[in-house]
Amino acid sequence: MDKMNIPIGPQHPLLKEPLRLNIEISGERVLGGILRLGYVHRGIEKLAQTRNYNQNVSLTERVCGICSHVHTTTFCRAVEALLGLELPERVHYIRALMCEMERIHSHLLWLGILAKHIGLEMVFMHTWHDRESILDVMEEMSGGRVAHAVNQIGGVRFDLDEDHGPMVDSTVKKLKVDYEELLDVIEHDTTLKARTQGVAPLSTDDMKRYCVVGPVARASGVDVDMRRDDPMPPYDKLDFQVITHPDGDAWSRTYVRLQEIRQSLHLCKQIIDDIPEGPISVRAPRKVPAGEVVMRSEAPRGELFYYLRSDGSDYPARLKIRTPTLPALGILPEQLSEIHIADIPVVLAGIDLCIACADR
Amino acid sequence: MNKLDVDALFNVLGGEIDQACIRQDSIQNEVVIEIPAEKLPEVSSILLDQFDLYHLSTITAEERTGDPDYLEVQYNFWKGSGLTLLIRLEKDSPVLRSLTGMIPGADFYEREVAEMFGVRFTHRAETPPLLLPDDWDGDPPMLQKEETK
Amino acid sequence: MAESLFYLLIFPGITFQLVCGWFFEWFDRKLQARFQRRVGPRWFQPLADLLKLFSKEDLLPSGANEFAAAALPLISLGAVLTAGVYVPIAGFSPASFEGDLIVIIFLLSVPTLAYYLAGIISAGIYSVLGGGRSLLQFFSYEVPLLIALSGPAVMAGTWSIREISSIQAEMGPFVLFQPIGFILAVVGLIGKLKRSPLDIPKAKSEVVAGSLTEFGGVKLAIWNTVMNIQAVVGIFLLVNLYSSWSGIVAPVLAVPVFFLESVLMIFVLSAASAVFARLRIDQLAGLGWKVLVPLALLQLLVVILMGV
Repeated sequence: MDKMNIPIGPQHPLLKEPLRLNIEISGERVLGGILRLGYVHRGIEKLAQTRNYNQNVSLTERVCGICSHVHTTTFCRAVEALLGLELPERVHYIRALMCEMERIHSHLLWLGILAKHIGLEMVFMHTWHDRESILDVMEEMSGGRVAHAVNQIGGVRFDLDEDHGPMVDSTVKKLKVDYEELLDVIEHDTTLKARTQGVAPLSTDDMKRYCVVGPVARASGVDVDMRRDDPMPPYDKLDFQVITHPDGDAWSRTYVRLQEIRQSLHLCKQIIDDIPEGPISVRAPRKVPAGEVVMRSEAPRGELFYYLRSDGSDYPARLKIRTPTLPALGILPEQLSEIHIADIPVVLAGIDLCIACADR
Repeated sequence: MNKLDVDALFNVLGGEIDQACIRQDSIQNEVVIEIPAEKLPEVSSILLDQFDLYHLSTITAEERTGDPDYLEVQYNFWKGSGLTLLIRLEKDSPVLRSLTGMIPGADFYEREVAEMFGVRFTHRAETPPLLLPDDWDGDPPMLQKEETK
Repeated sequence: MAESLFYLLIFPGITFQLVCGWFFEWFDRKLQARFQRRVGPRWFQPLADLLKLFSKEDLLPSGANEFAAAALPLISLGAVLTAGVYVPIAGFSPASFEGDLIVIIFLLSVPTLAYYLAGIISAGIYSVLGGGRSLLQFFSYEVPLLIALSGPAVMAGTWSIREISSIQAEMGPFVLFQPIGFILAVVGLIGKLKRSPLDIPKAKSEVVAGSLTEFGGVKLAIWNTVMNIQAVVGIFLLVNLYSSWSGIVAPVLAVPVFFLESVLMIFVLSAASAVFARLRIDQLAGLGWKVLVPLALLQLLVVILMGV
């Protein structure tokens, strides 16, 4: 059969954010694909050099539309490390609580998109309905559904009041019930398994060679989680498991993410129970001394890397952001060969693309 | 998760590079090793083969002022804790040897450094634009322009 | 003459088919919405969508065959409307003749072939892919569907739908004797209507909108109407063949029972699309030839043995 090129993107029903994939096909077989990024490149690294540190907190919040909180957390931690600030315990707990809720809503969002791509509209709607309850809690606490503006340099901008604890508690309880239903669907639905099991599996070695991070790597058996291996406080005091799965196909990625939702629910409960009393911020000096710092956090999609250099002026001399989606995109050419056209959505969804993150 | 044995690494690297190039404090949270550009493949293969330091977090390039100005390229590795290989390059015609043969995941990082800072990578396929438009013909955008210095 | 015109234009012809098509589409969309915890559209939404499409600009890419693009939806519409006239409504069938079942099956295949051609002539990559897929899908579901539909005909000993329908008054609804055949027919109908989970030729995330990607405006409106009426005819046909109660219940109840069954059929189709993920084309072909065809043959064998 003749070879054909089909373009996927920059605009395509499959994509929520613009990227371009030129896929070479022969009949229903995919032979290979060429990836092109940059459609939402905003030059944030360059822009950060013309904004002062406080403005950059708002700027880094806008790197990503889903995991916005973990970006500001990492940036603020980097600046606080340069300033040498000791933060009150309560700040760490509030930040971690938001991180975990963000992870839950990000994973639920992702699960919905995967389900939609394989034609399970009902699962899509139900997971997004569940996700709303998490967003409601986040909105109630911070005032924002997507951009939460939780962090400032030296602390957080709001405190938990007496209503928030029970609210998180009841939402966690409710989501645990919904979670069992979802797990039941993922583990037992024949058509879902038929579409996702054995689709373009990648081995542990592949993942290591491509430096992939986060749930995608863990679904191939790479046992790495920044929350455990390079922890920011208070994760060293909390109890959770790092979920891995050996298969490396789309189904195991689903499974890993779903199990991580449970771990995050468990973490939310612990944080609410253990959160110490105390101030929620310390006064940060205006001048950031010269120095360099590297910060790594576990974003919902994996290791988030920030490098910050200050030269003692009001503006950062260099801010480097490496989001977890970027290395995950590297495995796409490997995965997009010798599969069916119908598997392309499953492969793309399995990676959990966040193009705005990758483009910055 | 085995943490990186930094002392053993220094012993092995002692034969390759000058001890004075190892700095522990210049970047917080990182062990920094400054190496000359031509040593990059050797050092990387030592890291990869002997210390299982497979995870390259990213490649960070930046423009540093000095006499003369130079480009600093960091290879940010991670294994339980961060390790940075630091390379100084001339600003006029920066050339580096690609690591994609050893670490395929370095592809995107190298392409980004190449288009944003004008570093040329050898021993690999061309570096087509990753983030910039196809018809971009200006200078690498992350470099400071003369008038804004 | 006036009577024939009434049959053609009003009942059970164009007007009735259109109204049923809109109602079925609305009911299906409402059900889907309720399954997904949404509110769903109001009753006039299908009509509003149609009117909106009529007011839209009609564009085709250069290189497309304009004449064929206009003719194919009209041919399909003609085929499904003709098929609609021959399907008895609660036992009422002005145009019935021996062998109309075969004619209807043939007429219902016309839109599928036209759909394939529409993909080929509209000069788009996704259209070509979708067209090829629709043909592959056609070969996967059509054979088991045909074998399954011949079950009631063999059992009743006639190829006239009205005869098959009325003979169930004596023998009892055929769905009781041929449950497997009925299920196969439903699967085949889903494939024919390209409904989820067998919406492979128009899977949004894979081939955008399949054959109809490049269609818009009036042509797309006609295509949508074709799909609606195809659904109506298919559902009425299955109700007639497998579960005709018109001779069993009191004549007053015949019409309500007929429509109730049709609505139940829509419910089944909606539920199927809600709970199953879309199959891959190779999975469908495997399912069709390895599972559905043997089952259909088995059912037919049972029917023949029962007759002996």
